Amino acid sequence: MTLRHASYFLLMAVLLVLVGVLQSWSVAMGLLNMCLISAILALGVNIQWGYAGLFSVGTMGFVALGGLAVVLTSMPPVHEAWSAGGLGVLGGLAIGVLAIIAAVQVHRRMAKGWARLAVQAVVVIGGFFLYRAVLDPAVDAIEGTNTAVAGYLGGAGMPVILSWVVGGLLAAGAAWVIGKVSLGLRSDYLAIATLGISETIVAIMKNEDWLSRGVRNVNGLPRPVPYEVNLQNNPDFVAWAQSFGFDAVEGSSIFVKACYAVIFVVVLALIMWLSERAWNSPWGRMMRAIRDNETAAKAMGKDVKKRHLQVFILGSAVCGIAGAMLVTLDGLLTPATYQPLRFTFLIWVMVIVGGSGNNWGAVLGGFLIWFLWIEVEPIGIWAITNLTAAMPEDSGLRAHLLDSAAHVRLLTMGIILLLVLRFAPRGLIPER
Amino acid sequence: MKKLLLTTALVGFAAGAAQADDVPLGIILGFTGPLESITPAMAQAAEMAIAEVNESGNFSLGTVTSVRGDDGCIDSGMAVATAERLVTSDRVLGIVGADCSGVTGAILQNVARPNGVVMVSPSATSPALSTAEDDGLFFRTAPSDARQGQVVSDILVDRGVESIAISYTNNDYGAGLADSIQAAFTAAGGTVTMVASHEDGKADYSAEVGALAAAGGDVLVVAGYVDQGGRGIIRSALDLGAFDTFELVDGMIGDSLLEAMGDEIQGSYGQLPGADNPGTETFQGLAEAAGFDGTSAFAPESYDAAALIMLAMAAAGSTASADYKDHVMDVANAPGEPIYPGELGRALEIIAAGGDVDYVGASAVELIGPGESAGNYRELEIRGDAFETVRFR
Amino acid sequence: MDFLNALVLLGNFVLIPAISYGSQLALGALGITLIYGILRFSHFAHGDVMAFGTMAVILVTWWLQGMGVSIDPLPTALLALPVGIAVAAGLLLGTDRTIYRFYRKVKAPPIVVVMASLGVMFVVNGLVRFIIGPDDQNFADGARFLFTVRDFKEATGLDEGLGLRWSQLITIVVTLAVMSGLFWFLNRTRTGKSMRAFSDNEDLALLSGINPERVVAVTWLIVAVLVTVAGTLYGLDKSFKPFTYFQLLLPMFAAAILGGMGNPLGAVAGAYIIALSEVGVTYAFRKFFQYLLPESMEPSGLMQLLSTDYKFAVSFVLLVFVLLFRPTGLFKGQSI
Repeated sequence: MTLRHASYFLLMAVLLVLVGVLQSWSVAMGLLNMCLISAILALGVNIQWGYAGLFSVGTMGFVALGGLAVVLTSMPPVHEAWSAGGLGVLGGLAIGVLAIIAAVQVHRRMAKGWARLAVQAVVVIGGFFLYRAVLDPAVDAIEGTNTAVAGYLGGAGMPVILSWVVGGLLAAGAAWVIGKVSLGLRSDYLAIATLGISETIVAIMKNEDWLSRGVRNVNGLPRPVPYEVNLQNNPDFVAWAQSFGFDAVEGSSIFVKACYAVIFVVVLALIMWLSERAWNSPWGRMMRAIRDNETAAKAMGKDVKKRHLQVFILGSAVCGIAGAMLVTLDGLLTPATYQPLRFTFLIWVMVIVGGSGNNWGAVLGGFLIWFLWIEVEPIGIWAITNLTAAMPEDSGLRAHLLDSAAHVRLLTMGIILLLVLRFAPRGLIPER
Repeated sequence: MKKLLLTTALVGFAAGAAQADDVPLGIILGFTGPLESITPAMAQAAEMAIAEVNESGNFSLGTVTSVRGDDGCIDSGMAVATAERLVTSDRVLGIVGADCSGVTGAILQNVARPNGVVMVSPSATSPALSTAEDDGLFFRTAPSDARQGQVVSDILVDRGVESIAISYTNNDYGAGLADSIQAAFTAAGGTVTMVASHEDGKADYSAEVGALAAAGGDVLVVAGYVDQGGRGIIRSALDLGAFDTFELVDGMIGDSLLEAMGDEIQGSYGQLPGADNPGTETFQGLAEAAGFDGTSAFAPESYDAAALIMLAMAAAGSTASADYKDHVMDVANAPGEPIYPGELGRALEIIAAGGDVDYVGASAVELIGPGESAGNYRELEIRGDAFETVRFR
Repeated sequence: MDFLNALVLLGNFVLIPAISYGSQLALGALGITLIYGILRFSHFAHGDVMAFGTMAVILVTWWLQGMGVSIDPLPTALLALPVGIAVAAGLLLGTDRTIYRFYRKVKAPPIVVVMASLGVMFVVNGLVRFIIGPDDQNFADGARFLFTVRDFKEATGLDEGLGLRWSQLITIVVTLAVMSGLFWFLNRTRTGKSMRAFSDNEDLALLSGINPERVVAVTWLIVAVLVTVAGTLYGLDKSFKPFTYFQLLLPMFAAAILGGMGNPLGAVAGAYIIALSEVGVTYAFRKFFQYLLPESMEPSGLMQLLSTDYKFAVSFVLLVFVLLFRPTGLFKGQSI
């Protein structure tokens, strides 16, 4: 990293401090936490795109799976629901998986022809109806149990930090399946396929209420850090906060956010260290070789498809971890908030702007773009107010422009992406 | 030069900060999103209550000001960020809001509880909020949907409907309401042929309506939003000739529905929170004078939410949430002198004199159990170009 | 009689909605497949350009309505179409000039151009919301129904009814006209033939003296016609909302890939397949079978294969299956 690149990070720090001074420290810390998570997400995408040149736009799906993992890991199990239909759900899912495995086996073992197609069709369709027959009543039973607060199976009741690992594993597992299916496709086809699959994952989370309450959301997820209320009631803490000049409420809020920030920094540093190691290892060189010239790498005897699968799984796992961290920070899982613009395309902008193929670049992109995503709106309002100050108070155009200020966000992101692609296609911190 | 700019910015910032005897209240509603057509009237109603208290001169704790914030109705990330800004930067001492149930829960858990600020929601109706951990900080002037489900069932049974299909908007509000309607109607001996969700913001609902039509039913219950998928479902059902009569939940009552297809859904019916209460009419008169529509959904509840916070502050003699949160139930319920809209000044006088008030307000406020409205509804029917009140329940 | 009832039921709830939706998708998918064939990249901004063109149509329609112009029973928007097409063409040619042409010159890999189209998507997305706002806009006027379900029932005496809206009829007629025009253009005119030659083999086409910039410009013009017509028909039939148009990107791409990228006929077929399966798989067939089967065999359940919540997932499952077993699509598309 050169001096110039270090100065970018310094500038970022100054920007955050400025927010702390001008708006409030609580806002600045909140921004910092989201920047850290965005940086991890950008690292995940960078592993797929920067290392291996995979154009996967399914990031949102893996982030959502990470979020799901938090519920499945950390919420206490709902015993009532388990006794109502737990076995039925597990049985149904097992039937579904078995049917797919059977269909794949038929495909492998039988000779090509109409007979194979017929047997496959019978296995798949029969399996589907059997699956629905076992699953549906169990799901109805579970969703009937006290829907206002439960109506789902609950989780394993384990510490919430553990869910970050589970989130990574869950995303990796899904990536294995998706990769098996779609990695053979050409670049743009892969993009469309992953886009569709990520939408499907979110649709499942929205509609399968027995899993994570669907759109009813799961509130009150456990936290790895103390609750503000408890801190405020702790005289030692209050005295300690006051020694820094904060009152109890503000102090506790900042303290909690700082705790999160520390944990996030540790995770980010760990992933960063591993990514850098991988990049500089023979494995990393091989990935770049495949990325830059697939045919040559194949001729050298490299198993391109297998390597692609590997790197796809790794990148997705990182996105899953970030997704779990995000939900832990929010304290609730709301599947409806997963939108492709916000959780897929915005991350891509981070990677491209920061510098694809450079981990430091991805981190910087994560920080910078998230900062702009949040702060462009107030800046836009400020700019429009000043630009239209000459217009009369009741001008229709002025009111319209002020109302539309929120959309400046999308416009700015697009323009930044286009400018970077054209004039600095290698990003702010280019690949070495 | 830079230094000068920074100083000006800082001075400007400081000027915006609250003065010592100001009592800022946050009004956090979905000014964008699926309820954006009714939130302006809600905010104006709350601000009207604030203006009334200030003008009376009987509020000894300072001048009440209001700070508006947008929660997007369904975007919990945005809602929490907004509430965070209002509480930590604008230092609001109480929150009127939020509007939709999902974001209300998010703000309650992530901002209100950590910072110990009282929230009074005028329109969050999810049953899940009844049992949410709230440290005694959360109240609502709207009833829980568990109650609305019962009312819907009663209306249907009284009208001789035997079978219904339910289409709900795919979020916590729609799902919760559909659950309670289904439970209540089945318990009353009716048949529910199908309960299916619809996504908001889609352009085409023919598949959803096709499935509902195949299931059949005398009436289609639409548990959604009037400016969103709910209207699309009705449009599609009319086009395909699938249903003629609709039962509309509170989120579906809005003039835009009548404008879009009023003459095609004559005789359809629905309900809104409201009571046979002289205060409602007084409130509508006041609203008209203030220049907004007092019959707009949840506007009375918003007025009451703001009024309750200020009366509780007066009763506690303190603007700190920890002090006045215990007085909200006292001022809302009997015993005491009944207080209607426009009488906030008198209520403050009584409180100052050590008396007791029973706030009735614009929506017949009666808080029960976990601090939520007992739930009075008015049954509406579409006749001509208006929703006409048929009776109160 | 029962058989007729079943048929009418299917027509009302499955066939007519699916055909009109399929027509709208087909026009969009044709645009995608043309861009892919000639310019060789996936145009991610397609849905938002569609919204942009439709927005222009809406603004002009409002103006016309304000002037009291009307062609009842047809919607006024049809009069505004040419303006919308011109605006969309201006936008597309403008983006080509400022953005895509640069990448053509430096022979950037297709994926970089796709990224650039993502950037265009963001910008156009923001522009549309900035100008007309994110909300539903109503611009349909004229008569709504050709005949309603009730009219049909009274006229035929059947238990089931069938309704047909003007917007559906217009959609089908206009789509047929635009598609036949396009195929005539591609197969019969000199420019059309040079476009096909360019798509089949770029080097050979260049060698035989075809001007690539002209081919590209003509392509964008055709795409402008296709997206604006598709967007306007969709808006008339359903409603205009910028976010919905962005979401249309997915089924349109699915249709183009299903039929074989770069193959216009495939795109049309793909669009109808996607539309039919989206509506068909999620339709509850109970009533249909009640008419057809004897009483003893009547189904008790809803006979619905998949809940409507997963409607959009249907197109992706289809897509993945096709890509797995026939990577070039149903009709042979090109793969570079």
